[in-house]
This record gives sequence, C-alpha cells and structure tokens, in this order.
Amino acid sequence: MSHESGRYYFGGESLRVLVVEDEAKVARALQEGLEREEYEVVVAGTGEEGFYLVSAEEFDLVILDLMLPGRNGLQVLSTLRKRGLVTPVLVLTARDAIEDRVQGLDKGADDYLVKPFAFPELLARIRALLRRGRTQQVARLQLADLEMDLVARRVRRGGKDVEFTPREFELLEYLLRHKEQVVSREMLAREVWRETSRATPLDNVIDVHMARLRRKLDEPFDRKLIHTIRGVGYVLREEQ
Amino acid sequence: MRRLWPRHVRSRMTLWYVLVLGLLLLAYAGVASSYLFYSLREQLDHDLLEDVERVEGLLENTPDGRVALEPVHHGEDELDTQRFVEVWSPEGILLYRSPTLQGGTLGGPPRPRPEGSAEPSPSTVRLADGTRVRMAASIPSVDGRRVFLRVAHSEQALWQEMEEIVSVLLLVLPPALVLAGLSGFTLARKALAPIDAMAHTAERISAERLNERLPIENPEDELGHLARAFNATLARLEAAFDQLRRFTADASHELRTPLTAIRSVGEVALQTPKSATEYRDVIGSMLEETDRLTRLVDSLLTLSRADAGHIHVQRTDISLLGLAQEASSLVEVLAEEKQQRISVEGVPTLIVSGDRLILRQALINLIDNAIKYSPAEAEILVRVAAGKDNRLIVEVVDQGPGVPQEHRSRIFDRFYRVDSARSREWGGAGLGLAIARWAVEIHGGQITFQSVEGQGSTFRVALPSTTTPEKNGHEEVST
Repeated sequence: MSHESGRYYFGGESLRVLVVEDEAKVARALQEGLEREEYEVVVAGTGEEGFYLVSAEEFDLVILDLMLPGRNGLQVLSTLRKRGLVTPVLVLTARDAIEDRVQGLDKGADDYLVKPFAFPELLARIRALLRRGRTQQVARLQLADLEMDLVARRVRRGGKDVEFTPREFELLEYLLRHKEQVVSREMLAREVWRETSRATPLDNVIDVHMARLRRKLDEPFDRKLIHTIRGVGYVLREEQ
Repeated sequence: MRRLWPRHVRSRMTLWYVLVLGLLLLAYAGVASSYLFYSLREQLDHDLLEDVERVEGLLENTPDGRVALEPVHHGEDELDTQRFVEVWSPEGILLYRSPTLQGGTLGGPPRPRPEGSAEPSPSTVRLADGTRVRMAASIPSVDGRRVFLRVAHSEQALWQEMEEIVSVLLLVLPPALVLAGLSGFTLARKALAPIDAMAHTAERISAERLNERLPIENPEDELGHLARAFNATLARLEAAFDQLRRFTADASHELRTPLTAIRSVGEVALQTPKSATEYRDVIGSMLEETDRLTRLVDSLLTLSRADAGHIHVQRTDISLLGLAQEASSLVEVLAEEKQQRISVEGVPTLIVSGDRLILRQALINLIDNAIKYSPAEAEILVRVAAGKDNRLIVEVVDQGPGVPQEHRSRIFDRFYRVDSARSREWGGAGLGLAIARWAVEIHGGQITFQSVEGQGSTFRVALPSTTTPEKNGHEEVST
C-alpha cells in the first residue's frame, strides 16, 4: 500500500474509529482493513459496550451496526445524540428499506451503508465524513505524467493531449480524485452515472467505459495507471 | 343475554320465524275476537232496544200509584228471567222493580239529564252481584204519566261465547307454533346444509391440497354463486402458491449457483500451496461471485418490495422520446462493442406521467436485452409513437433469434430464461423482463411482445397518455 493514501492526522496522532458490530467476522475484517489504513480501531460487540466506550473515550468516528443484540443500534444512536455527542456516525444496515434510512438519519446518523457493502466504499465514506467541511476546490488533478485540467476540461499525458467523451472525462476525474484508492463499480455507478438503484445492470456498461479509458490513456504508454482489482473494482495509481 | 341467543343460523332463523308467526297469529286472534265481540254486542243491543219498546207497551198504572208490568204472553217466559226492569217517577220514587233484580238497582234514582233524554243508547252496567248487563233507558208515558224506565239484558251469554272462541283460538296457537317451528327448522337446515358442506370442504382444503374445488350443484342460485366465488378465490390462491413455490425454487437455485462457485473455488485453492498472485486471483474470483449474489439479492429485494407495494411511484411529466434516448445512451456502449447500432426515433411531444427512474429501468432492461440477443452489426430500433385509445407506445425491435413458441408464455416470469446456460454467461439472473413488466404495470401500462423465430422480437410497452383520464387506462389493463 502506498503512503499518504487514506490517512488523516490530527497533530500527528492517527484517527480513532469505534466499530460497534456484533458479527465477529465482520468486526475483525473491518478492524484489520481499517488498521491497514492506519486508523486506530476499537471494536465493541454489543450496543451496551459501544455505548459505554463512546461515553468514556474520545473517538473521531463511530461505525454502528443497526442490528445489535441487547440494545438496538438506533436506540444507542439517539441516546448518544441526546447527550450531545457530536462524533460523526456511519450506520451499517442490512435493511434496504427507505424508512430505515430516513429513521437512521433522523436519529442522528451522518451517513449509512447497506450491507453487504464493498470495503473501498466504506473507506470512501469514512474519508468523506472525516473530511467534512474541509473540502477544497481544485482546478487541476495530477498523477505521475497525467494532468487533468478541470476548468479547461483538458487531459494531458506525457505532454500530449488526450481526447475523451464527457462520460469518460467524468470517469477519469472520479478515479483521479480517488487516486490510489480502490473504487468499486457500485461507487462509479452512483457517483459517475448517478444511478441510485443497485438493481440497474450497469456493470457491463462500466466495464466497457473502463476498457475505452484504458485504450486512450494507458495503451500508448509503458507505464500503466489504471489497474483492475479483480472482484473489487478499479484503482488509478502509478505502480502495481 | 348473549348466551341465550342461539349460536346456529338455523336456530336463529327458526326462532325468528316462530316469534313472528306467533305475533301474527295473536294479532289475528285479537282482531277476529274483538270483531266478533262487537257484532255480538250489537245484536244484543238491537234486541234490547226492541225489548225496551215492548216493555213500554206492557207498563200500566196500579191503583196504589205505582206501575206494574202486564203479565207477559207465554212463550216469552225465558226472556223474563233474563230481563231486568226498573221504573222510576221523575221525582225519584221507585215505581217498579222486576223480581230478577232481587232488590238491587240498575242505577238508583234518575239523574235529570242526560239520561233518558234522547234516543236510548245502551250501556254496560254491573249489578250488585257482579253480573254485567246491557242497559237502555227511556222516558215513556203510562196513561199520560211520564215515568223513567230502565231495561237491561244480561251479557252472560255473550261472554260465554267469547270465552269459548278465545279459548279455542288459544288452544290452537301453541301446537301451530310448535309445528311451524319444527318445519321452519327443517327448512332452514335443509337450506343451510350446502353451506355446512361447503364449510367442511373448505376446512379440508389446506395449502397442500389447493387443487380441490367445491362442488357446484346449481350454478344459478345463491349457493352456486357462493361456491363459484369461493372456487375462484381458491384458484387465485393456488396460482399464487404455485408462483411462490416456483419462485422459491428458482431463487434458491440462482443463489446456489454462485455459492457453489465460491465454495469450490475456495476449497480447491486450499488443496495446494500457491503464490500470492494466485491466491489474489482466487479471492478475486470469489469476490466476483459475491458481487453476483449481491446483485441478485438487490433485484429480489426490489421485486419483493414492489410486490408488497412499498415502492412509491413519484410521478412527473416525462417526454417519452427523451426517456428512450436517455436509456439507450446509457447502454449504447454495449451495443458499440458489438458494432450494433441503436436508433431511437419518434415524436418528441409525447408526454407520459410516471416515475422517471422506474420507467427508465424498464426501458434499459429491454434495450439491454435487445443488445444481448442481437448478433454483431445488427440494428436495434427504439420507436416511440402514439397508439390507439390514448396510449403511448414504445417499441424495442431487435434482430435476435426470436423467442421459441414454447417459451412465450413465461418470458416475463421471474428467473425464466429461454436458454439458461447461455444467459448466465451474460451475467443475467432472468429478472430483467420481470422487473420491466412490473415497472410498466405499476404505471397502468402493458408490456407485450411479438416474435418471429430467426428474425427477431419486438417488445412493446403501452402506457396511458397523460391526457387520458386514469380510468381509461385501468379499464384496459383489467381486460
């Protein structure tokens, strides 16, 4: 994993994330994955434990499963919010019902993710939550010899102009904004194609667009920038 | 009180029947006997008034200043014993009293008025011994002397007759009611027996034996109607159960396929040590299957929420041609990969009221299908036009192999695929057309298709136009 990718520091200390999740396998996977991204992770297996930990310690982010034994995730959340907790909370839910989402957001969740979710997506959401209010407008994006001018809508690689269709341009912009981070097809469908329903079959469409992007961006060059992570998605980075 | 009320309809019906019949008979008896009573009394009064005249003629003064009744003609003797006579002077002195009164009086000294003033009208008087008599008064003159005369006849005979008649009526009533009740009960039971039988049959028909039906004896009567309605419900239930069974079987099959892949890929990978790259490949392959599972579950969720009516249709006015262009441009790259051409043509002014995302999904699924099934370099036509009966039509014409006859009735069914092996290769789960159909039907439209084997298929979506009253659309759908 390359340096500087998904990490944010406050005064040199890594960020603390509390994971409240009763399913041991999922909790362990989350812990391992987040620790690889150099977050400091604490896992709570029950709602009570999570509640206790949040009250006792400082966290930068809470990942909260809604279906918990003992105390329900939503109850934990609303109690915490009533007590003035301001830590961002990312809710995980297995229930893909709009009412649940609305309820979760009403109770004070900052974002939600429906299970099963793609890990790159979770990372992206966490980054977005931690970055909140600190986004800066950029006019130029860059990776290695690839330059993207968002204002003039121009792409240059190795000093040469490369022409893209509007869709390809948007796709490249998204990949470049998330350079060195794996993006899933689902993220692309939602962010680039603005397709909210997961049932719409866009995977083939995305694959074709990625293939075209590759043809224009990578084929003429020795150094490949677009990489496929099989079963997960795509990543734009310098080296394998 | 509630307890006393009979539980069975037939008992309740009988009870009501007997109650009503009893009341009717009582009313009838009442009316009949009072009519009889009045006509008997009228007869009595008639005789009485005649007798008053007769007695007037029989009165004569006696030397002691009183009045006597002339000895009667024989033959009318019996009347004498039934007749009560009293004669008073206007001053209130008793002039004559018949022995039948046995010292009693028919009302004491005469009151000045109105008694005896006008026409003698009979009234009922009770004697000292309790005998009820019918009495009439008059003021005749006996040899020029005005006297006050009262004549009365006993009502005894009348009451005796009434008593007999009423008792006969009352005696007949209970057995008549019992008889009516019994026959009513039998009738009710007979009429309700088929319902009982139907209930028993219905109880026997459980989820496992939904193919059974109620026998219909007479399709024209109420019970036949009930049985038909019940059978129709059963048929719908059976169809729903069948669909559910098939759906569950298909769904578990579809879920099992990627699960099997994950499992075997994982197990085989663990058999021999491998390089990191190889392991990465294995995990990637397993993740691909997980992706497929996720997508399948999402589609199923969409459908089940649609079934439960949880999906809210947010209607806006949409240009149908614009929507078709949007849908086709989204999947156009897939066609380009196969050197196919998609042309969208039609009238841009046709507006449909509907949920943009849901309708677009339907069109995407249809066009996606057309791309999949058409050969390379084929042309796919998306045509938007106004149809008959205020319907708007979108047609997706492909140049695929067409749908074989035997599959035509089921291609909109969930998980149904014409060629399962081939379709799975393309990553479909056989839900695309099912979702398209749902999306169209929730907008009050219809989806149909025509197919010529070897030449291609035309999928045709008919949606109600916004200018049409909603009703029109629904009527069409239901037929």
